[in-house]
Amino acid sequence: MTELDVSLTVNGQRRLARVEPRKTLADLLRQDLGLTGTHLGCEHGVCGSCTVLVDGLAVRSCLMFGVQADGSEVTTVEGLAGDEPGSLGPLQRAFWETHGLQCGFCTPGFVVSVTAFLEECPDPDDEQIREALSGNLCRCTGYQGIIRGVRLAARLRREEQEARA
Amino acid sequence: MKAAAFDYHRPASVDAAVGLLAELGDEAKVLAGGQSLVPVMAMRLGRPEHIVDVNRVAELEGVSRSDGTLRVGALTRHRALERDELIAGAAPLLTRAAPYIGHFQIRNRGTLGGSLAHADPAAELPAVAVALDAGIEVRSARGTRRIPAGEFFVSAFMTALEPDELVTALHVPVWGPGSGFAVAELARRQGDFALAGAACGVQLRGGLITRAAVGLFGMGAVPVRARAAEQALTGASVGEVDLDGLARDAVAPLRPASDIHGSGAYRRRAGAHMISLALDRALAEAQGTREAGA
Amino acid sequence: MSAGEAAARWVGQSVKRREDPRLLAGRGRYVDDVVMPGMAHAAFVRSPVARGTVRGVNTSAAAGLPGVVAVFTAADLNEPGRPFWKTMIGPAGQPPHRLLAEHDVRFAGDIVALVVAESRYLAEDGAELVDVDIDPLPPVLDPASAAGGAPLVHPERDTNLADELPEMPRPDVDRVFASAAHVITETFEQHRYLPVPMECRGVVASWDRWSDRLELVISGQGVHEVRLFYSRYFGVPEDRIRVVMGDVGGSFGQKVFPVNDEIAVVAAARKLGRPVKWIEDRSENLIAGGHARDQSMRVEFALDADGALLAARTHLVENVGAFPASGSGSMLLAATAVFPGPYRLAAYAGSGQAFFTNTCSRCAYRGPWMIETTAREQMMDVAAAELGIDPLELRRRNVIRPGDLPFTTAVGVTYDAISPAQTLEQAAELIEYDKFRAFQRQAREDGRLVGIGMSLYIEPLGAPGILATEAATIRVEPSGTVNVLMGTGSHGQSLETTIVQVVADYLGAALDDVHLIQGDTAATPYGPGTAGSRSAAIASGAAQQASVTMRQRVLAIAAAMMEANPADLTMTDSRITVAGDPDAGLALKEVAAAAYLSPASLPPGTPAGLEVAERYQAPMLNFSNAAHACTVEVDRATGVVRILRYVVSEDCGNMINPMVVEGQIAGGVVQGIGGVFYEHMIYDPDGNPLTTTFLDYLLPTAAEVPDLEYGHVVTPGPTPGGYKGMGEGGAIASPAALVNAVRDALAPLGVRVTSQPLTPDRIAALMAGIT
Repeated sequence: MTELDVSLTVNGQRRLARVEPRKTLADLLRQDLGLTGTHLGCEHGVCGSCTVLVDGLAVRSCLMFGVQADGSEVTTVEGLAGDEPGSLGPLQRAFWETHGLQCGFCTPGFVVSVTAFLEECPDPDDEQIREALSGNLCRCTGYQGIIRGVRLAARLRREEQEARA
Repeated sequence: MKAAAFDYHRPASVDAAVGLLAELGDEAKVLAGGQSLVPVMAMRLGRPEHIVDVNRVAELEGVSRSDGTLRVGALTRHRALERDELIAGAAPLLTRAAPYIGHFQIRNRGTLGGSLAHADPAAELPAVAVALDAGIEVRSARGTRRIPAGEFFVSAFMTALEPDELVTALHVPVWGPGSGFAVAELARRQGDFALAGAACGVQLRGGLITRAAVGLFGMGAVPVRARAAEQALTGASVGEVDLDGLARDAVAPLRPASDIHGSGAYRRRAGAHMISLALDRALAEAQGTREAGA
Repeated sequence: MSAGEAAARWVGQSVKRREDPRLLAGRGRYVDDVVMPGMAHAAFVRSPVARGTVRGVNTSAAAGLPGVVAVFTAADLNEPGRPFWKTMIGPAGQPPHRLLAEHDVRFAGDIVALVVAESRYLAEDGAELVDVDIDPLPPVLDPASAAGGAPLVHPERDTNLADELPEMPRPDVDRVFASAAHVITETFEQHRYLPVPMECRGVVASWDRWSDRLELVISGQGVHEVRLFYSRYFGVPEDRIRVVMGDVGGSFGQKVFPVNDEIAVVAAARKLGRPVKWIEDRSENLIAGGHARDQSMRVEFALDADGALLAARTHLVENVGAFPASGSGSMLLAATAVFPGPYRLAAYAGSGQAFFTNTCSRCAYRGPWMIETTAREQMMDVAAAELGIDPLELRRRNVIRPGDLPFTTAVGVTYDAISPAQTLEQAAELIEYDKFRAFQRQAREDGRLVGIGMSLYIEPLGAPGILATEAATIRVEPSGTVNVLMGTGSHGQSLETTIVQVVADYLGAALDDVHLIQGDTAATPYGPGTAGSRSAAIASGAAQQASVTMRQRVLAIAAAMMEANPADLTMTDSRITVAGDPDAGLALKEVAAAAYLSPASLPPGTPAGLEVAERYQAPMLNFSNAAHACTVEVDRATGVVRILRYVVSEDCGNMINPMVVEGQIAGGVVQGIGGVFYEHMIYDPDGNPLTTTFLDYLLPTAAEVPDLEYGHVVTPGPTPGGYKGMGEGGAIASPAALVNAVRDALAPLGVRVTSQPLTPDRIAALMAGIT
């Protein structure tokens, strides 16, 4: 059982792990780095609960082997909190406002996916929002609070950027 | 749902990659985007003993155009197919197809080369390659060859690739002015594999269709080139062509497989509708552009 | 509001959830997040065939794999005679039980061996090496075959009948049918679909040999029932078992009872003396996690010339799989008891049969009895078409109106405090029913297929036996913060927020100072957990009752400290003041300090400390109701259905948190959308499951659902606070509304729609005249 060294930056911190090549990035994050916010809902790349950012792009961490992330920058849901300890980022605050979660299991995947989506599409219409969300499954909310959360988050982001400008 | 153990190789060059494939043969699988391969491994439906990860092979990236051909590197991500301006200008059918591939998270990783090599009958890019008479460049330790798309896809999930060969690029002939391209697909949900789809290109001159390409996916074990439809379109006047009739004729001889998502008969019905839709959009686009010679 | 009474500040408000910050930050603690020192990992070997004789199970190769700790088979873990019944159900009516398959397998997915290893990766490697030799036998897969009696799913029995509600002679019903102007018969089918929580099933079991204590971290719906079960099953005193529930990623009924897989892991942990974690993967969850629906109901209606529903007969046939999770798994009684629904139906006879088959066992799923609404509401539309009456009008002619209450149904259930007529009208108004009919006329002329469908139902909240009570212990701590300890098991229902709202209001404490502690048998009073739409009525009832008592205690002490009359005092936001004099006053923490630290200063006869434990007993039956209405368009070319609008008019009494109520409705409705259009658990003719991944078992995504619209009617229930439960309703009513809308859309084609799922292929075939 050969293991390989993996060196990666996770949520801004340099982390090291030693894993079998077959261990997924999701399992490396959860088991070796103790970052259990990334969840496993299917392990075959459909539900999106395992979504993380790798070098800024949203990917299904169950479809990458941990060794593939050697040298990469990974952001998990834990890294999307606000600047103050214990505070939430703007998207998380938006979901809080709009009841965008119930059991919370799919939530980290949505938070990461939507963070990436709004970076690329800061002013989406409803059709674009629904299409962007279609890669993440939720069973509790019927997506209603999530869609409202994305609309609110887009608005809050715009307002924040306008305030800074 | 954990994969079986394997040895992992991460070559930095094409030479190193094909060297590994020459050595390992059947025991190795090439890992590109992983969006198709990793689920198969997780379910232990496939258990390659060796994985050759080509994600760091820079030579496999890159898009370039020379004269009438666009060369797209195998490692070009679906995401890039959506956004790259060179591709949008030279092979718009690739740009049109990309947004249909899964979801944006999948497109961030999935690659053109991987999609071609995987040869899923319901996938868009193989049908685009076939419709455009593209050539698939493959390399091995024995050298380089170009396989016409029409010969590359042999059966469902089977290609003409030898075990020691690596897809390195797609060569796409560029169409001239007055062209329009479109993809239409029917899927159960947003982002799902197509039940039936059509990737089409048309070229107009003086209100007449001078060239037509119709590639179908989800309609057979390999992409189908609807040649009879293309012949019916060529020379026809844009205003007079009966797209619905032509589409129905195009699917009539096809025998798509039935599965839990749709029967063969339903796929034919849906396929016909997708052909009409795609041609309609392609013609509209062609009419909006400058015509050849105008 | 007079002094002494609580101020209603938070109840009724859409307060943001207490649960959210940790869950949004990825700091939830689900079973797979639990790590214990020395923990090993489990993976099951499951039968690949639906039915067969086990010739042998060879575990030596697996056991010899480095990293594999142990491999268990039936010989190791099965202990015949173990009481396997669930407290809620009782010992009667259990299917034959054995933990691991021993001599035969009875469904594809049946557990045959358990591998424990240092990691799940290694456990799966080990599982692959277990050599299971099974001679396949022809399986029984559906009720029609099962009814024949051969082969038998359970050779210990002499029948495949799991339960029966026999057809009894009913001359009263027959008479009405004989003389009715219209008699209509139709059979409605509901296919097999699944709860599919986003978190799969799992458990961490740790059995300390030295103290003979068992600790479980479960993914479930309540801890106390689980503890009772294991206490009975293993013959271990309850107080040596601790069951803990952290965050749970949904359940919808699938995780409400301990199942063989989980019990086997607990048994293995006992043998090993090491903690063992088991998390199934998604394929296991789809194949073996518990299946639902899969029923058909034949309905006969007798109506008069004006469409008044005079009598009905139903016959329900169910496929409950091999080892249904609760008793017989049948819904015969429950569905029959609720079938009359919101209509003035005077005469009714219900019967049915439930059959074992060699398929995955039935589990509870959000409104398990809901076939009654699926069938009844479709029958209303079928009858309306037959009589040439609009389906809304037919419902208006039959719906129970306020003047009819209290109303005793044909099965002897008495309804009160319900509002089906009002919700019917509100739903019709919200969806702009008449306007849609006008639009439909025009659209039909244009060749478009658009339709509208409704569904009306009453949701019973049964509280018999162990479900009848819920307890709340309220502790005002010496610091003045308030802890509420309850035996609930919220797994998405927002109890950490809604209970806190109730307590804050009725006690008079500051919202941020109140906390719910649940999901731990060591810390909380006994309760059956969170299920069956009981939280708002019963859990909140307990919290409210205890809060009122605590408030009185606090005010009595404060009155003595302030030398005032308790009746002149009021408490809000943890501050006690004399009514009309807001400046002077006491903080709750000052009262707490006195109560805990200076008991001698308390008025004579006042108990020291501030702890109140109360158990609330709910009325046996409580009802909420709603009306759903939706509009759809069917694409003529492809058979694809687009939902245009979906509205729900809900009456769940007083709402503690409207946002939470709407969230529950939404989740249920989308599960109905899934069931009708996308989800289908399919077996091939040999009993092999075909839909074993999310590539084949399709859940709706955000792109497949419209924005839902809600209206509320408020008819307070008979519980303190007037809240009524409603968590299951969305999933109960939605399938009928959706199917009715598709039927209405296809009506110009003369198409008969009575079964699901309505996939594009199926609709295209219906349109082409192929049934």
